[in-house]
Amino acid sequence: MEITKDLTIPKLFLERTETYGKNRVAMREKEFGIWKPITWHDYLENVKYIALGLISLGLKEGDKVAMIGDNRPEGLWAEMATLCSRGIAVWLFQDCLMDEVKYIIDHSDTRFLFGEGQEEVDKAISIREECPKLEKIIWDDPKGMRNYHEDYLISLKEVRDLGKKLEQEKPGLFEETIEKGHGNEVALLFYTSGTTSKPKGALLSHWNLLSMGKNLMSIDPCYETDDFVSYLPFAWIGEQMMSISCGLQIGFTINFPEEPETAQENIREIGPHVMFAPPRMYEQMTRTVQVKYLDAGWIKRKCYEFSTKIGYHIANLKFEKKSVPWYWKLLGWLVYFGVQKKLKDHLGLSRVRYAYSGGAAMGPDHFRFFHALGVNLKQIYGQTEIAGISVVHRNGDIKFDTVGTALPETEVRITEDGEIISKSPSVFLGYYKNPEATKETLQNGWLYSGDRGFVDEDGHLVVFDRSKDVMTLPNGKPFAPQYLETRLKFSPYVRDSWVIGDKRDYITAVLCIDYSVVGKWADEKKLTYTSYPELSQKPEVYNLIENQILQANKDLPEAARVRKFINLYKEFDADDDELTRTRKLRRAFVTQRYADIIEALYTDTDTVNIDTTIKYEDGRSSHIKTDLYIRKLGD
Amino acid sequence: MSTTFLPCGDYHENYKQDHAWWQTKFIKLKMILLFAVLFVGIPLCADSYWLSVCNLVGYTVLGALGVQLLIGFCGQLTLGHAAFIAVGAYTSTLLVLEFPWPKFLLDLGLAYPVSIIVAAIAAGMWSVLFGLPSAKVKGFYLILTTMAAQFITVDFVITQYVSQIGGRGQAFSLPPGTIKVGPWIIDSNLKVYLMMLALVILCVAIITNLLRSRVGRAWIAIRDNDISAEVMGINVVKYKLFAFFVAGFIGGIAGAFWISNLAAISPEHFPWFWSLWLVGVILIGGAGSIHGAIFGSVFMVVVMELLQLAVIPLADTYPKLLMDFLFIKEAAFGLAICIFLIFEPNGLAYRWWQVKNYFNLWPFSY
Repeated sequence: MEITKDLTIPKLFLERTETYGKNRVAMREKEFGIWKPITWHDYLENVKYIALGLISLGLKEGDKVAMIGDNRPEGLWAEMATLCSRGIAVWLFQDCLMDEVKYIIDHSDTRFLFGEGQEEVDKAISIREECPKLEKIIWDDPKGMRNYHEDYLISLKEVRDLGKKLEQEKPGLFEETIEKGHGNEVALLFYTSGTTSKPKGALLSHWNLLSMGKNLMSIDPCYETDDFVSYLPFAWIGEQMMSISCGLQIGFTINFPEEPETAQENIREIGPHVMFAPPRMYEQMTRTVQVKYLDAGWIKRKCYEFSTKIGYHIANLKFEKKSVPWYWKLLGWLVYFGVQKKLKDHLGLSRVRYAYSGGAAMGPDHFRFFHALGVNLKQIYGQTEIAGISVVHRNGDIKFDTVGTALPETEVRITEDGEIISKSPSVFLGYYKNPEATKETLQNGWLYSGDRGFVDEDGHLVVFDRSKDVMTLPNGKPFAPQYLETRLKFSPYVRDSWVIGDKRDYITAVLCIDYSVVGKWADEKKLTYTSYPELSQKPEVYNLIENQILQANKDLPEAARVRKFINLYKEFDADDDELTRTRKLRRAFVTQRYADIIEALYTDTDTVNIDTTIKYEDGRSSHIKTDLYIRKLGD
Repeated sequence: MSTTFLPCGDYHENYKQDHAWWQTKFIKLKMILLFAVLFVGIPLCADSYWLSVCNLVGYTVLGALGVQLLIGFCGQLTLGHAAFIAVGAYTSTLLVLEFPWPKFLLDLGLAYPVSIIVAAIAAGMWSVLFGLPSAKVKGFYLILTTMAAQFITVDFVITQYVSQIGGRGQAFSLPPGTIKVGPWIIDSNLKVYLMMLALVILCVAIITNLLRSRVGRAWIAIRDNDISAEVMGINVVKYKLFAFFVAGFIGGIAGAFWISNLAAISPEHFPWFWSLWLVGVILIGGAGSIHGAIFGSVFMVVVMELLQLAVIPLADTYPKLLMDFLFIKEAAFGLAICIFLIFEPNGLAYRWWQVKNYFNLWPFSY
């Protein structure tokens, strides 16, 4: 079906369900050990009655409907139903704190809220008083809901029943409502995580979303027989892009994991053909492999080492666009059947055709790791404001320090200040209730990204870093801290890193050790510890981390080498506002929060005293008083 | 959830797939290969002696399957399984020799096949009779009641009364040509072998199917904890007795099959030691696994045969070795069980599982 300005997501949805009906599976959900299929027909039935139910509850064109919950078919039905009844969908992160939920619900003028079960309902009830525009809270998991009788609560089943009644009264209303829609209408109100300030609501139209999907699929075609696993939050544009924009256009099957905790295992079962995840998922995979490798027996270790050597060599030849000699090809086949095939099977990458990494920077080491395995990993660059993607690697033209070239119908330019700006049919309509920000970001149809970058000799876009994050080295050269941070993160022992040194005499780093990996290492070394703060301050752990940094330092220019580091007493956490919900470091915030540490790193001292409180996810807080050691590094 | 290690991208949309026998291409290939070896390879390559060894393996598997079901899956300790095999063997023999079969059945060669079915049912019923005490007693006491089955059945009923039918005295001889399946007279090791394969496959199929159904789950629940099984609403007595029936049924098939390999049968073919031997087989093979019954049988029979082959050359110098071979065999049996209980208490099936895991987890260890 051709993507025109007149087409909307619901129209496309209706068309798809008519073509596929009961013959094809639209989605699967793992329940009680099996992947329960839901056909396009079932999908339509559910969406139809929920949509009509919303209409009979009083939903009007342009009303906002918010959704919060895990990735489940019901979540997608609710979103599709909202779009079909010409509402605007707003997604919230499942782990949002109360303040964030309140802010978004209130700011977006949400009238209806879909929550999964008791947890979400409780959240909604506690903010209801402060959000007067919120009318109904819809839930569908009855667990724990027995004693909730408030009249603003309604179950999904009741909504569906209302919809069925309306269908009998006014048959054809559903189709008529969809028919009225136009591609330029707002489909999603998407709150960007924002590394600096309060979230901003980006307005995305049907046309934005569909044209983005079309352009991505034109370079990396997917097929209707493909499988996709939806496990990342729907409140992340990447997931919307795959599940809605691409999913609907191609008609591939979306699979939902049993629980968020089983996602990794469920991905392995399905073996998706296409996946899109932020770098941290790939970093986690790499770390799993590195740790498992260390624990394997001698024979297995040697086989793995041999295969990675061959894999890296072949990947490097491909990166350099040289042809691979026949004997290397032969060795490549050997290690594929001997090791890599099985390894990919463990990671759930056996069938993957395109693996995209986007949303943050990915280190070159991770990138090479996956290509050495023979996984077609590609970088994606884009923002929520451009419906997710504007730049991507092409098959066979992959450079691990770039993000690739612009999508069709997309123009990317660099301003005189070095800022990346782009223009495409997918550029958003503006921020909701925020004309100043809109004016700043959207100028003459060009989207100003706030990222600094350049275009290299092959026409690939290189994203340096956020403009305001770019550091100046002691020798006066600009430097991207995230590049260094991703390099440090290639060590399995390092979970998060934060590099400091803008206009300073030397570079320093604050590191968060990976509790499980370092903990296991400490167990083997018979080191005793009781908690993360204690483990992080062990001299042995410092030695371990020091070696990892020295390793990373080797490939860096003299001025960019880390000279001092400190192990933080806790991991960075989105609940403490140190990271965004998509796990990007909020540099300005941490700089302010850990001013003492920065101060200590640039004075001649060995320890820094910490006296602070930390917040837990359930709202409790605890007091921490400890000394952190500072370690100096040689060359 | 499926217990098979499924490759990435191989998933189940319904429980039927989840409980299928051969779930992956690799397993299907492996099974086809196995059948090729069993039905083509062995008959072509093995001589009559090794075929007879295979037949003994098959007979042991049939016996051990019943014991495995009772001990390994239902938790009912038994030391009298040879009694039910004996019931099967005698029922079948008596039917073949004494029953006035209608002529057309004899012509069609159905007398023996029908007698196998009747023998299996009779052995099953007899087993239920001695399973009755399991409603009341468990563990050590149940061992004693099942031992009683052995002595009452073989040493008393069969020796004193059944053997007297027809006034032959101790043994029933089976004249050549009596054992006939359809048009084929079972008169060579190869034919016995092929019949054995058919019966073993049938019995393994029966047990595997029962185990993946409600019945099997009930048995396993009873094995793991009979009180909680009852609390969950399982009729414990009913399922225990059903386990005894199925175990006896398969024992009956084993007995009825074994007469095809014998020229005459007498109570000495079913000593108490054979009951003990079958328990040893599943201990070595691994309790609670169908593979275990098969691996244990292969291991025990082959080890004993090798032992015998090792002893024969020495017989010239030490004639006593051959004379006392039965004792050597028993000593070796005891030693094997000791070694397994100490070094591989979960049996050969566990080792097999570990080998599979080693490659499934390749190139990691977990």
